Amino acid sequence: MTFQFSRAGRFVTLLFALGASILSLTADTSDSELDAANRAFAYGSYDEAAGLFQKIIAARGYSAALCFNLANAETKANHPGLAMLNYERARYLAPNDADINHNLQLARQQAGLEPNSYRWWEALMLSINWTVWLALMVLCLSLLLFAVVGTAMKLPSPALRTTFRLIFFIGTPLLLMFAFVELACIGFNNRVEGVIIAPKAANLLLSPIDGAEKIGTIPEGELVTVEGRHDKYFRIEARDHHFGWIQQQDLEPVIADSFDAKPAN
Amino acid sequence: MRILSRAHGLGSALCAVALSALAVLPCLAVPTLSQQINPPEATIGDDVQVTFVIQNGSGTNFNLQPVDGLQNGQVSTSTSFSFQNGSISSSAAKTFHLIPTRAGDFTIPAFEIHLQDGTVLHAQAMKLHVVAGANGAPAAPQAPGPPPTANPSVPAFNPNGPVVMPPANNAPPQPVPGNPAPSAAATAGGNAVPTESDGRPAKVFLVITPQTTDAYVGQSIPMKIEWFIRLDADAQQDSLPTIKGSDFLMNNLSVRFHEDTLAVMDEGYRRESWSTAISAPKPGDFPLQMERDSYWIKSINPARLNPFVNFFPGRPNLAHEPIASNQLTIHVHDLPDEGRPANFTGAIGQFTATATAQPDTVAVGEPVTLHFTVTGQGNFDYVRCPALTADPAWKTYVPSSKFTPQNESHTQGIKDFEMAVIPQKNGTVPLPQSSFNYFDPATKQYMTVPITLPSITVTGAMAARTPPPGVVTDSTEGTAPAEAGFLPNRITSGWTKTSLIPIYRQAWFWIVQGGLFAALVVGLVFLILRSRTKRDDGREERLRRQHSMALETDAMGTAARNGDALAFFVAARHAIQLHLSTRWRVNPESLTLTEIRQRDPQLAETLEPLFVQADEIIYSGGTGRGLDLAQWERHVRDLLQPQTQPA
Repeated sequence: MTFQFSRAGRFVTLLFALGASILSLTADTSDSELDAANRAFAYGSYDEAAGLFQKIIAARGYSAALCFNLANAETKANHPGLAMLNYERARYLAPNDADINHNLQLARQQAGLEPNSYRWWEALMLSINWTVWLALMVLCLSLLLFAVVGTAMKLPSPALRTTFRLIFFIGTPLLLMFAFVELACIGFNNRVEGVIIAPKAANLLLSPIDGAEKIGTIPEGELVTVEGRHDKYFRIEARDHHFGWIQQQDLEPVIADSFDAKPAN
Repeated sequence: MRILSRAHGLGSALCAVALSALAVLPCLAVPTLSQQINPPEATIGDDVQVTFVIQNGSGTNFNLQPVDGLQNGQVSTSTSFSFQNGSISSSAAKTFHLIPTRAGDFTIPAFEIHLQDGTVLHAQAMKLHVVAGANGAPAAPQAPGPPPTANPSVPAFNPNGPVVMPPANNAPPQPVPGNPAPSAAATAGGNAVPTESDGRPAKVFLVITPQTTDAYVGQSIPMKIEWFIRLDADAQQDSLPTIKGSDFLMNNLSVRFHEDTLAVMDEGYRRESWSTAISAPKPGDFPLQMERDSYWIKSINPARLNPFVNFFPGRPNLAHEPIASNQLTIHVHDLPDEGRPANFTGAIGQFTATATAQPDTVAVGEPVTLHFTVTGQGNFDYVRCPALTADPAWKTYVPSSKFTPQNESHTQGIKDFEMAVIPQKNGTVPLPQSSFNYFDPATKQYMTVPITLPSITVTGAMAARTPPPGVVTDSTEGTAPAEAGFLPNRITSGWTKTSLIPIYRQAWFWIVQGGLFAALVVGLVFLILRSRTKRDDGREERLRRQHSMALETDAMGTAARNGDALAFFVAARHAIQLHLSTRWRVNPESLTLTEIRQRDPQLAETLEPLFVQADEIIYSGGTGRGLDLAQWERHVRDLLQPQTQPA
């Protein structure tokens, strides 16, 4: 008995230690790397600050705060394309963050681009946390499955049978509603968007071949929707609903690696 | 995948009756005549088609009067019936193919057409101009992109007219795979229809009719897609035609197809048709072909022993294969460099552009809204807002746009643009010059449409301004960030994610939910099935008793034939006990005469002689000499009949 308790205690301790280490990795309250980047930003070394933020992102991953800081640095360093890209990434991670939207709209205004704030329902549909949602769906499905299995086992207890019936009759419409919301949100979220990062502007081409007709330009920093791909060209729809082809090198996806473009900034 | 098929057998007869009725119905409407000569100008040796279409009338027994210099060629007729918007209409078309043998102006004289119901229609005279062609006047160059009438062998598509088959720049549409290969090419409307070995037209075929086979890169080519299925093979479909290969982009077939019924080579057909547009992204000669995953009735399983076969025909055997259309070669040309305007944005077609400006009086710094409207036909995806010349007196903003299509293929429509401009000085300030550029494939030239904009009266003095709501300045301004206004950096990094790709794009997201959902469905199906099949606890026991009773009955018969009274009565009494125990669900050995009497006195009275005789034989050990075992056997077998039921 003593041995068992000791083993259980060690297991719990190990779990705590693991959780603490994960927290320390992902939710730093203060760290030297971030401080150094912010210090460089404060001293006006914007290119250096942008580089440091990029290093942190490469090491730890993306977060709304890191992308926001990187975007601020790129804005100050006069790189509107990269600034807009990282503001869009920050907004993708935190659609309801008013600060991110404020700086993004200000940067867009300075770059001569139309405002593109989300409407409330867009922010709502984009703010869904898919991990939580998946857990909710799994919970709902598991409860229903539990009720079905319990019913199949013909348990003698009337209370249990009533519970199973309740789970079934409440869980089924809930599941249908969740499934509808899930599909609707995925349909809305599933656009592939990119930001023009070519200096000044990207050439909009009539066809996806070298030497193709130029039919216009899209300014640096503009957000476009990618409709298709042909070799190293993307067929895009601009915000003014015009279509055309642009070179892969002129475009960076908001969701990094979402169309196997070159590595994220 | 659920396929609903239509009936065969009686269905064919009904179709024939329906078609016959349809031939009568149009007589109720007023017959009309339309006529066309195509092309009105030709060269010697060209195929000139003179087509007469009689709407709502029947009677194609007429001919053209001979004209000197025009050689009569093939004559073809066709009839079609349309069901649209709940009304029925018919049209009969007769096409005369004439071949000019000399140059000059010809007049095909007017004449009268007498219909079967006595109506007389008057065909007007038609003029034809014939030039010498290659040996005389130079032939028209191959113009890429002009409308289809540029090709004299391709009649203009008339959706309400006779069957229009593919342009003759390739082989006829392929017949149904698996069917006999076409043995002959019949004609309909002057074009080929695939036929089977028995001479009937193919059950299913697909025809595409682009407006032109010469186009430019990015040009929208309107195209008609028609899918035909013979009425006796008609089945419901669950897919749309798709374009083969990746050389062309096609508009989505989101609009529901048009459906009608018509006759091709005297066979009834159902036709589904779509209007769409294709475009080629690069120059070259590319094959254009479509296909549709099609179902059709291959044969009908006869409903055996079904006296109502005429009303409930057998189940149809469906064939299912992709049906390829006729294949065309589209010649895609690069846009010419010569004469290309600086502001050309890729618009190809025929367009007109207009503009208005509101209001005509503003204060300095207040916006004026320019409303541009571009109408016409062409590739509206590439129609952008007309360009304004740079003018320091005006600051321009990024325009917004809205497209309103006017046809199914989205090649005709109106595109509206709204652009805000802000005067930078006061006085009477003329708006900047504006123009809209496009490439006209018919004339093969870049066209510039000048747009006149009025002058605006600007009042007041220049002051600090803010952009109008909803618009921001264009990119001519510097992109250096303002020192004020930006919110500061975050001091914590927050939760991080190694990948931005949402988890719903990963397979396991769907596998987890799909697995649980599948398990749930399986569990529900199990519960439903179990509730439908109640468990029968006594089934095995009942079967065992029935088997035992059959054995005892056989033993009884054998004993009766052998004259073995002891064995006979043992078997007979046990058989009766088994028979009654099955009904009363009791142990057969427990059923004595006393027990039976308690349950059913009347039955006990009937059985008493048998039981008494059995006891006597068994306990006396006697041989039962003198007993008529055959009669006893008949008696017992009567008792074992199902109608001998205990109470």
